[in-house]
Amino acid sequence: METLEHADPNYTKFPARRRALRPDFAIMCGMEKTKQTLGGAPHAAPNVIELTDVRKTFRDFWLRPTVKAVDGLSLSVRKGEVFGLLGPNGSGKSTTIKMILGLLSPSGGKISLFGRPPRAAEARRRLGYLPELSYLHPFLTAQETLGYYAGLSDLPRAEAKARTRELLAMVGLSDVAKRPVGGFSKGMARRVALAAALIGKPDLLVLDEPTSGLDPISTKEVKLLVKALRAGGMTILTTSHLLADAQEICDRVMILNHGACVAEGKVSELGTSLEDFFLAKVDDAKDFTLAPFLAG
Amino acid sequence: MRAFLSVVGLELKALVRSKAALLLLVAAVAWTAAFPSLVTGDGTVAGARELDIHFSLGGVFALLVVALLASATGSLARERAEKRLQLTLVRPVGRVALILGKVVAHVVVGAVVLAVACDILAARVDLATPCRHVLAPILPSVQEEAERMYAVYLADTNTPAAVRHAPKATVLRLLANRAIDRYETVATNAVARWRFAAPGDAVRFRFTNTFEMRQDVCGVLRSGAAASVVSNTTQAVVLFPFRGESAELSFENRGTSALMFRPRRDIQVLRTADAFAWNLLRAYVVLVAVLALVVSLGLLLGACLSRPVALFVAFVTLVVGEMSPSVVEQYPDELETNLADRVGLAITRGAAAVTRPVSAASPLEALAKDECVEPASVAGLVCANLVVAPLLLALLGAALLPRKQDDLV
Repeated sequence: METLEHADPNYTKFPARRRALRPDFAIMCGMEKTKQTLGGAPHAAPNVIELTDVRKTFRDFWLRPTVKAVDGLSLSVRKGEVFGLLGPNGSGKSTTIKMILGLLSPSGGKISLFGRPPRAAEARRRLGYLPELSYLHPFLTAQETLGYYAGLSDLPRAEAKARTRELLAMVGLSDVAKRPVGGFSKGMARRVALAAALIGKPDLLVLDEPTSGLDPISTKEVKLLVKALRAGGMTILTTSHLLADAQEICDRVMILNHGACVAEGKVSELGTSLEDFFLAKVDDAKDFTLAPFLAG
Repeated sequence: MRAFLSVVGLELKALVRSKAALLLLVAAVAWTAAFPSLVTGDGTVAGARELDIHFSLGGVFALLVVALLASATGSLARERAEKRLQLTLVRPVGRVALILGKVVAHVVVGAVVLAVACDILAARVDLATPCRHVLAPILPSVQEEAERMYAVYLADTNTPAAVRHAPKATVLRLLANRAIDRYETVATNAVARWRFAAPGDAVRFRFTNTFEMRQDVCGVLRSGAAASVVSNTTQAVVLFPFRGESAELSFENRGTSALMFRPRRDIQVLRTADAFAWNLLRAYVVLVAVLALVVSLGLLLGACLSRPVALFVAFVTLVVGEMSPSVVEQYPDELETNLADRVGLAITRGAAAVTRPVSAASPLEALAKDECVEPASVAGLVCANLVVAPLLLALLGAALLPRKQDDLV
């Protein structure tokens, strides 16, 4: 089996960082597509999300392939853990999440959510989703927004009302519950979207850049909330560009680049900062040079 | 069911809070209320009433078709483009329920606006005015007539080779069109007879061709012992006692020149049915059903096309659907045209065939002429346009929506 140092093209560029890595951090290099799990005892908890050799190729109108967004990705997210999907822009994170949510169909491979296809109503009933941007209906009030998503989640009317009150209080928007969300600030809209994701009492919460657009206080609150939800037994799949946040809230992370997994493992077993590790694994700087500007 | 109702509620709120519903309502009320003062008819009370019913309600209906088609087409396409649809689709709500929920909300808005327009109209017309069933004479079917004409053509040695060698189905279709408009000539002092399957009642007999074509009308209509004089002064519309399970009308031409009638169009017997109020109600139901079909089409296009393309296709479909029957009627003889014309006519004929159930469904003309909007046809149209078509279009939209999500469409 190929060693990390030989497989990683960034080895010479970040020698200090690479040496700082602990060998028990599970790594899978994209070329071989074989996972090398070096540490951590096998987890007994059942898998909530299971992806096996998933591929996604976008095609044009004439069905000619245009972009290979995900290439042979396999991952599993266990019950009760916070799993971080990390990677640079265009690495396939959002496509992977959309396939997990059933919004996109994979070109190949298998995806299961709670042991069912992602588009099965039984799977969706147990799912909450916070997209990268809030995408709320601007003409609805915060209360109506939660009521609408409670209705879509088939929550009985009385329970929906109680849960709406509870969640609005939790995200600190009780006072503005009857104001249209179109007039909300980005942070307030984000909090409504987070409450909407939780309205159906999900077992799995998918967070796409959960702290995007939030001020430091709100970011801290979101992180506290994620920790609290994890403590309550909820499984969480999250993507983030803020690696310090990911390191703080995630149990395990997977780093994607060019649609394939380049590293996967437990954050607790990472002997360095996630940011350093990430930069070591994913360095596309060769595609982007400042030399001509600096020379000028 | 709760998810479906949530979608209906959301769409209704969108229509109400975007002020679209309010604008439609204001426009409908203004148009219906102001129409009599804006347009003058032929000076007769009946003429003004006919204009009022046809155009005030027709104007509101046209407005609703355009506005709801645009709204429905944009609804799903905009939600997808703005990515709000993602948040709905990850919930346990079926795509068919999602599309049908939007159909219901749009139809509810259309139905309310149309009901208000009908109420305003009802306030100024006599609701007790009787409407009448329209009965056509008993004639061979159009297909039978076409077959008969085809046999005559083939037997005739002067028939052009193009007709002889053309596919039989094509020639039969052309002959069927001619059969609808076939003229019957009544020479001076000759008698034409038509039989009707009509129970005993007072009836009107009328010619539907234009008055200018009836300058020389001068004759006697008979039914049994009863007779009535027909002349251009009576405009060929006369009250006539008409009794028996089936009866024969005869027309004796006493004019100075031969008369030509199209028996399938010009010779009609009208039999008293129920009051205008019921007719208006039936017409309303048919119009709402047509709105449901239009909205469903818009949502289907919105499900599988981007918003601008969907809007373009929706309105092209609307225009082609509206105009193709007239085009087909005006240019029925494809054997006389070149290849390009034939291709164009084939496309138009296809569009006309698809949209005929809708374009033929407009009950406004019958309503304006106090002709009965037949309950049997109302049931059929409601079943087709309000139930079956929206369901089928929603199923198709639901099948295409994920492909659009995948950018495959």
